[in-house]
Amino acid sequence: MLQHQSRANASTVSSVVQSSPIVLDNRKAPPPLDADRMRMYPRIGNRQIVGYGLKGKPEYFDLVMFPCPSIRWEADTPETAVLRKKEQGDWKQLSIDEKKRLYRASFRQTFEEFTASSGLWKWTLGWGLIALSALTLAYDGWRRLAYNFDKPNSMSDEKLKQQMQFHIAARQGPMNGLSSKWDYETGTWKK
Amino acid sequence: MALLLRSALAQALTKSVRPMWAAAMTSTGRRNMSSHKKETDEEFDERWKAYFDRPNIDGWDIRQGINHMNRLDLIPEPEIISACLQACRRVNDHSLAVRYLEAIRYKSNAVSKQVWPWILQEIRPTLDKLGISTPEDLGYDKPELALKSVDDM
Repeated sequence: MLQHQSRANASTVSSVVQSSPIVLDNRKAPPPLDADRMRMYPRIGNRQIVGYGLKGKPEYFDLVMFPCPSIRWEADTPETAVLRKKEQGDWKQLSIDEKKRLYRASFRQTFEEFTASSGLWKWTLGWGLIALSALTLAYDGWRRLAYNFDKPNSMSDEKLKQQMQFHIAARQGPMNGLSSKWDYETGTWKK
Repeated sequence: MALLLRSALAQALTKSVRPMWAAAMTSTGRRNMSSHKKETDEEFDERWKAYFDRPNIDGWDIRQGINHMNRLDLIPEPEIISACLQACRRVNDHSLAVRYLEAIRYKSNAVSKQVWPWILQEIRPTLDKLGISTPEDLGYDKPELALKSVDDM
């Protein structure tokens, strides 16, 4: 009943023209609404109702399966009111910018915009890698904190000296390496 | 489901796409197992064309028709598209015509990249007569504004 009434009114009554382009300004008092509008759709402000809508309610949404929502996106300002008047004439007189302005007044996003990919995979991959490396670092930090890593005693000077004696006795590096610098007849380093 | 793209389109498309449509092209010998009458493609076209050709159609009915036909598993014939564009002209709503063309473009690109240029070619007389810009003319074949998606709010 109310919807039928609203539709009958919609075709006869022109849209409400407001001075600022903001649809619902929280800082100010609600926009001037008459009794009918206040009953049915105080949430949409002074935007023109142009269709039945998906659930019979005057709501705006961009959906691929429902191309034409039931309300315009923007309320009419004096500039758009001028454009709408021009729209009633020959469309060849409208410039491309005016046509784009009219489109944006009726719709929020174009089909290409609301079907564009969000690029979420980049965030997912990046944060996944960051989380993985953070866990690795945390584990290593805990490992160093919790466990005592003594150096093996083979790094002391006596042990190293003994190791070198063993290497020389085993003729390691006879051509160009260690043993080539050792004089085996005298038992000292070569001069 | 009624397929509206007929033999003219089948000639325009390449051989690789044709087998998909060819199966339905030879549908003249279709038998109806149920008792209720099935609508032919021509009746379907005529019905929708008559719907949009009503001289005092208003914006509400155009939107209802567009949204309803968008749900069906088909792309409208160029004659239906022309009738709808003329209806938009009668209610003085250019943005609605562009939105309609965008919806058809999106749907046809899901089928094949060759459908949309063919549709544009078929409705070019109507577009020129009424002065409607295609989405490509307005630059809407690529995203223009980077607004936040509603799902992220």
